[in-house]
Amino acid sequence: MNSFDQSALLLTILVPLAGAVLSMFLPRNRPNDAWYFAIFVSAITLIISVVLFVGYDFAAGGYQFIRIYEWLDEPLNIDLHLAMDGIAATLVLLNGIVLFGAVLISQTIKHRTRDFFVLLLALGSGVFGVFVVQDLFFLFFFYELAVLPMYLLIGVWGSSTIFEADRQRLWGIPLPFDLGSYNRPKEYGAMKLMLVLVGGSVLIWVGILALYVASDQAGSPTFSMVALGELAKNGAFSPTFQNWVFPLFMIGFGVLAGLWPFHTWSPDGHVAAPTGVSMLHAGVLMKLGAFGIIRVGMVLLPEGAEAWMPVLIVLGTVNVVYGAISAMSQRDLKYIIGYSSVSHMGYVIMGIATLHPVGLTGAVLQMFSHGIMTALMFAMVGAIYERTHVRDITILNGLMKRMGFASFFFAIAGLASLGLPGLSGFVAEFMVFTGAFKTYLPLAVLAVIGAALTAIYILRLLARTFFGEADPRWEGLTDASPVEKTVGAAFVLILLFVGIWPAPFTRVINVGVDSVMSLF
Amino acid sequence: MVWAWLIPVISFAVVPLIILFGKRLPGKGSPLAILAILAGFAIFWVVFAGFLSAGPETEGCDIGVGTKVLTCNFQITWFEAGIPGADTSGFDRIEIAWGITIDPLTVSMLGLATFVALMVQIYSLGYMHGDPRMDWYYAFHALFIASMLTLVLADNFLLLYVAWELVGLCSYLLIGFWHERPEPREAAKKAFIVTRIGDVGLLVGILLLWSHVGSFSMSETFAAVAGGELSDGVVTASALLLFLGAMGKSAQFPFHVWLPDAMEGPTPVSALIHAATMVAAGVYLVARAFPIFSASDTAMLVVATVGLITALGAATIALVATDLKRILAYSTISHLGLMMLSLGAAGYTAAIFHLLAHGFAKALLFLGAGSVMHSTEELDVRKMGGLRKVMPVTAILFSIGALSLGGIPILAGFWSKDEILIAVNNHLNPVFIVLTLLTAFLSALYMARAMFIVFYGRFAEQFEHVHDAPPTMSITMGLLAVFAVLFGLVALNWPGAFDGIGYFIIYEKGHGLEFVIWLAAVSTVLAIGAFIYGYLAYARKSVNLEGARRKFAWPLKVAEGKYYVDELYQWTIDRVVMSLSRFVAWVDRALVNDVGINGPGDVTRGLGEKLKYHVTGYVYSYVLVMALGLVGLAIFWWLVSR
Repeated sequence: MNSFDQSALLLTILVPLAGAVLSMFLPRNRPNDAWYFAIFVSAITLIISVVLFVGYDFAAGGYQFIRIYEWLDEPLNIDLHLAMDGIAATLVLLNGIVLFGAVLISQTIKHRTRDFFVLLLALGSGVFGVFVVQDLFFLFFFYELAVLPMYLLIGVWGSSTIFEADRQRLWGIPLPFDLGSYNRPKEYGAMKLMLVLVGGSVLIWVGILALYVASDQAGSPTFSMVALGELAKNGAFSPTFQNWVFPLFMIGFGVLAGLWPFHTWSPDGHVAAPTGVSMLHAGVLMKLGAFGIIRVGMVLLPEGAEAWMPVLIVLGTVNVVYGAISAMSQRDLKYIIGYSSVSHMGYVIMGIATLHPVGLTGAVLQMFSHGIMTALMFAMVGAIYERTHVRDITILNGLMKRMGFASFFFAIAGLASLGLPGLSGFVAEFMVFTGAFKTYLPLAVLAVIGAALTAIYILRLLARTFFGEADPRWEGLTDASPVEKTVGAAFVLILLFVGIWPAPFTRVINVGVDSVMSLF
Repeated sequence: MVWAWLIPVISFAVVPLIILFGKRLPGKGSPLAILAILAGFAIFWVVFAGFLSAGPETEGCDIGVGTKVLTCNFQITWFEAGIPGADTSGFDRIEIAWGITIDPLTVSMLGLATFVALMVQIYSLGYMHGDPRMDWYYAFHALFIASMLTLVLADNFLLLYVAWELVGLCSYLLIGFWHERPEPREAAKKAFIVTRIGDVGLLVGILLLWSHVGSFSMSETFAAVAGGELSDGVVTASALLLFLGAMGKSAQFPFHVWLPDAMEGPTPVSALIHAATMVAAGVYLVARAFPIFSASDTAMLVVATVGLITALGAATIALVATDLKRILAYSTISHLGLMMLSLGAAGYTAAIFHLLAHGFAKALLFLGAGSVMHSTEELDVRKMGGLRKVMPVTAILFSIGALSLGGIPILAGFWSKDEILIAVNNHLNPVFIVLTLLTAFLSALYMARAMFIVFYGRFAEQFEHVHDAPPTMSITMGLLAVFAVLFGLVALNWPGAFDGIGYFIIYEKGHGLEFVIWLAAVSTVLAIGAFIYGYLAYARKSVNLEGARRKFAWPLKVAEGKYYVDELYQWTIDRVVMSLSRFVAWVDRALVNDVGINGPGDVTRGLGEKLKYHVTGYVYSYVLVMALGLVGLAIFWWLVSR
């Protein structure tokens, strides 16, 4: 093992964190410098994450790049234990890619640019931390580091939505069950997101302490996930204990994964957030929740997981269908993508809840696929909104004529979202269906129907927004900027790559799934 | 033979080239697409020759389980998921292959698809000349045909589904090619969504089969079905689910609504969709999965019944439609129904034979209609007449297509239709054969109507300056016409060369050309009668139709209204689906969010508002509360200790 391998995981955390700290010392009034510096930092993290993913030896499997930095002794036993398995490797790569893309897209941030990138990089560092630590204390620490900057990022740089619309009428009478006009200030989005996620954190923290106490009762108090995993394997945690602690993690992490009915922070939060933050948030942050359920819930509390999975899969199915149906009547582009994320995270939750090796592989691949796809969608919507200042799909029209590139990239992401073979979404969703089919057949059928509903709202969106005659209102519109084109093209290539040749991903995920599934 | 995979791959490969560099290439990249499909067509012949000379001893080839015909498989692993190294039959791992299968069915479909696609692409050079988005047009075409070729080559259900969806996407892109106008846009969306609903059934069917077989491979699945490993219920259920997918793609009732609207795309695209790609996929799927279908009598009866309803219903609509392309579209639906009917009646050979014969004739008819539309910019048959004066080549070629499809003896359509009639007569209830004959009659009648109204009769003066098709268009039509005339001869036994299609495209066992004299006689009389009547009524106008129109005003209106299926769907979407969606969106906002999430926040803030007035800062109020608390505690202690 060379020195890079030994420190690579630490670097994924430290590079963006150091970048965030150093950015603070940049001059305040030179936004471009802050942007260039952030690109530099995120490019390094991207390279590290690619090297880590490629360097992960899938034939050997298990945890690799292990490094333990001791911190607190008895009785707390908290160490910074870094390690990466196949699941984490995929998500580290995802974070590297999306962070870089989000930084690039944030060229348009001109207000307090430096502070923006400080927070964005800190957030990225926290996400890397969650994926690679093997200690509950640090997991929670990095989890919060990833979540908290969100409040400021949305509250300061976000945008408020004022939506004017008449209620739908039936025979001249306004329908009672219709949204009509609404007004959602960015402060509301930021505050709700924060409070709901922190509420989830409370549950997680209680769960972590419960595990610590239980390990104490078993004789060796620890926060180490490796040690706790051993205890769990040896049956140190009673079924009753597992049955009440698992739901704490299931709901606590589930909130961040957009689990129904705790999902409403997600559409409002995504809509209010600036483009780069939406990308990171929907693209990576929501995956932290799903990852937490696997890494903490399933691995440390396998019996509890087994007992609660029927509940989780029902909620996941509700996510899929409910999200898709809600998206169908939205008119705001960002809300459509927001609800689409709720729907697609449903597949991740379903895949996890199948407790089936193929389903779980699908769930992890779906995390990657959805991360890229939704980030791409938000990036292109950002580009469109920047120029048109409209997000209402009933008003937008014929954008293909003026913004060919942006439209093309968005359309590809949309097709990936509706599960078109050849793009990443299909492979992942198909594996989730496969797993669910073997375990919960009726719900699997509903999930397949949900995928068909996706086609309805995506095609409706494409037809209204991009197709049609060139609109005179968009006469002077410019197409995507070089930076936006770069991000768009790169993300499209990734979607195609995973869709056409998923083997490099599945073979890495498979080994991670293997070790998780060996517990069941 | 193993090189068959190149046929779709070449076409796939030119797609990114045309998209990226098409603007700078000569002809906007169209020659690339045409060369790719030309290469595919050439390789097809190599594969065909290889297959004819192959036997069970050839590497990769064997006698297929279930189908009992020579089948060759070649594959490489695409990806696997689940526990590494686990046994796939334990369902803990799936392994998906990029695999191809070559059997008579595949070979026939390859031939049809490559030939028609080649003709259509060459024809498009003339038809689409000067279109600013020629590069996209040809890129979509190449992708379309590549997907279709993958579909017919796929040796596992998942790869088939992949290609299936890509075919759907390409038809979406091509139908909506002129997206500036709202009609193509809506038609494209409709085509995609309607077929996608059928695809839910297909995917569920595929997964259902997997969950009992443990493999997506077709040969393994068929072997499991043939070996009786699956219960009857599962076989029937999976057959019906697969059939849902086939109904969507092949526009069977009640999923037929997308096909007539699909004519909003450029006409060559319609030719491709109607003859060789999109709609052929459904019939192909049922034929491909025939070991599953034939194992279930229920499924077979459903296939036959749906086919018959579709065939008869669409034929009646075609008879009253006034748009030339719409007449052809309903004619396609009707003929697809006949193919399904034939499959349901165990007429495997007849169905595929008819698919091929119909493919050549229908491609020819659509290209002919395209030629008419290209120069007259008119599609309403009521405004046309006597066009043979100004476009004689198109008139002759279109008439050949119409006669062939109408089932006039010795033309291709006659032979294949006859085989279908025999299959239906042998295997189904007499009601079926009567209705099938009626459909055959109607089919000849509407073809006669279209042909005589447009090209014969009194010349419509406004088309004085109309020109005939340019060479790229007429030559391709001519080649298709040759097939529309002569293709039926493959039904016959050619000693020393070819035993006849009855010994080539077979399921389980072959049989020579069957010929039931009374059926052939009846169908010939019906077809010729229909054309004579059509000539009298629509060209000579010596039969007055007004009386009949008045007499049957009500059924006529229903047929002209296409049985109001479209309206029913539109109503369902507008009123039911969208209302449900609005309701759910409202619930999400008003209940889940405003009550469930904001609620606790509002309660907390409200409590704070209320309670803050109790923090008065006056000592006596604190003392009062303390005193009350003490009294309360005392009472509590007294109650507990008692």
